[in-house]
Amino acid sequence: MSAVIAGAGAVSSVGRSVDDIFTSLCGGRSGVGDLRVFDRTRYRAEHAYEMDDRPPGGPDVPLRTTRWLLAAIEQAARSGGLGDDLEGVPVLVGTGLRELRSVELRHRGAADIGPADLHFGPAVRERFGATEIHTLANACAASLSALALGADLLDAGEADAVVVAGTDMITESMFGLVERVSAVPPDRVRPFDRDRLGAVMGEGACAVVLRRSADARPALGVLRGVGINCDAYHVTAPSPAGMAAAMRQAYQRADRSPTETDLVMLHGTGTMLNDEAEATALTEVFGDRAGRPLMTAIKSMTGHTSGASGLLGLIVALRSLHTGAVPPTLGLENPVPEAAPLRIVTELVEGPSLSTAQINAFGFGGINAVAIVERAR
Amino acid sequence: MTVLVTGVGVVLPGGGRLADLGRTEAGSLEPVDPRSRINRRGLRYKDRATQLAFCAAEEALNDAGLYAPAAEAPVRAEIGIVVSSNFGNLDTVCRVTGTIGAEGTLAASPMDLPNASSNVIASSLAIRFGLAGANLMLCSGATSGLDALSWGRRLITAGRCRQVLVLGTEPDNETVREFTDTPRMLDGAVGVVLEDAGTAAARGAVPRLTLGTACRGGTLADCVAVLAAHGAPARWYPPEAVTADVLDGLFPGATRVDLAQVWGASSGALGVLQCAAAIGWFDGGGAGPVYAVTGGGRDSAAGHVFTAPPGVAR
Repeated sequence: MSAVIAGAGAVSSVGRSVDDIFTSLCGGRSGVGDLRVFDRTRYRAEHAYEMDDRPPGGPDVPLRTTRWLLAAIEQAARSGGLGDDLEGVPVLVGTGLRELRSVELRHRGAADIGPADLHFGPAVRERFGATEIHTLANACAASLSALALGADLLDAGEADAVVVAGTDMITESMFGLVERVSAVPPDRVRPFDRDRLGAVMGEGACAVVLRRSADARPALGVLRGVGINCDAYHVTAPSPAGMAAAMRQAYQRADRSPTETDLVMLHGTGTMLNDEAEATALTEVFGDRAGRPLMTAIKSMTGHTSGASGLLGLIVALRSLHTGAVPPTLGLENPVPEAAPLRIVTELVEGPSLSTAQINAFGFGGINAVAIVERAR
Repeated sequence: MTVLVTGVGVVLPGGGRLADLGRTEAGSLEPVDPRSRINRRGLRYKDRATQLAFCAAEEALNDAGLYAPAAEAPVRAEIGIVVSSNFGNLDTVCRVTGTIGAEGTLAASPMDLPNASSNVIASSLAIRFGLAGANLMLCSGATSGLDALSWGRRLITAGRCRQVLVLGTEPDNETVREFTDTPRMLDGAVGVVLEDAGTAAARGAVPRLTLGTACRGGTLADCVAVLAAHGAPARWYPPEAVTADVLDGLFPGATRVDLAQVWGASSGALGVLQCAAAIGWFDGGGAGPVYAVTGGGRDSAAGHVFTAPPGVAR
């Protein structure tokens, strides 16, 4: 398959547009800060990668996840030549935690929301006039899973353009339970480092416009293929074999070989289990060429943006392919042994000619999504 | 490519099964005890929606001749899963939030961690039954169940999966009733196994139903118009929470069977429940086609045509 990526939009803790985010990441600026959104007396953890756009000094307000999604879709649709009218354009939203934060606020008596607010269809419909909206709750692989489905719609001739998006904000239940299973709550995400302490949640939304054929505007890149599968192994522990199978499937669907890949956007959550499993899977798939492609883990600056993270990585990859600049992985001082064969960059790399990128996203329950993109020609 | 249903599993209150979907009154609404239906190993710490899903999935996979306990068989990468549920983990999220607010995170149970993620049903099914293909969790509101059938079909036509287990489930509990302002939720699960006609024939699977045209529209009327262009149905399944005066003029002459009225508010499970009810209708000698419609409010609408399985002269 091949679809043109015609537009992109993103908001996160490190910027409110694709250009701002890319500039921040290349500058090594992290979005980590003090935990502000929750009652600090209830948590041991003190840090998060928040997008704190609440009313100043006030309590949390509902439907911020939806608001970020709409902002990202607006940026993408406008830059992709669709404008603000998405009638007839399918919109696929990947999310780990839907509007569960608003459900939590409602549970506390702090929000007046209903069942139609839990997913994103009604809000996207009311804002953009789209009538086919899907909310895909595929954990941290959600937005790249949605990308696979969007590509399939184009391939089948069911649509000429689709919008694929991802959005997530921190919920108390997930943040608290992740803390519950951490011995020491981490103060930042340190992907692939021996002394990493785990993931720190982040917030953000992103979107792309996929088209079957290029319109007059210069395309941002080309989507060659997406592999999706499930480890069928464990509810929270990943399996290197399942991750590797998803990578191979992506290359098969892209009709490409890992030997052609110049850049890998790592899932790199900084959890004990993910980073070792991901490094093992990459080493297996890339074989004796594992040290060739540049690799980076932007969660070291964005935090773990959950369901939005895969597509955010893809959007950053397209900027890297276009500019030749690859953002660094922060906090990586002593790589885990499994990552020793890999070329994970810890300083900004500028200048190389990059053509092909692989983007990884892996989620709870062992669900995996891997995308292959190429630079626009 | 023609995609068929080759297996079905139905788990409803009062022990309701496939044949009961023709009823116009539910009768007993005794909650199902999953431990009485399937091996109780692996049920502990799973939320209600996931436990119900396990029961329906085992029955559907058995019916399709594809059941193999994961512990005894290698994982099967060619079989995918699409689950639709809007409220599966709502009780976990609210309960954990309450605990943290009252006592802090140390009082929360680590066993709730997987259940805080909305995809826990789909991935738990994959693990229990060893199904390693594409694994999708749809939470799209009222249209989600019929959408799940369409995405299941697309996973097959796109060459991603050989078979797909499509499953809808919604739990009945105080949290969901209060959130939806509904007196009674389905508290059940329905699963169907999809595969292409050639695959089914090659392995001797028994077709139960043929998936016909599917559509999405902004309004109920949009979907009704698309379906009506395919001729008059023998019966049709309406969306839930739409008043009779809106439904009365639609598809004149066709019997209307409001499944949510009988079985409880079905939300994300409704579309799959409608598909199962159509199978029950064809099993009983009913002639098609049968139409299903979901949504129609803020969620836009979805429609689906179901026809009798091939080889059945009607």
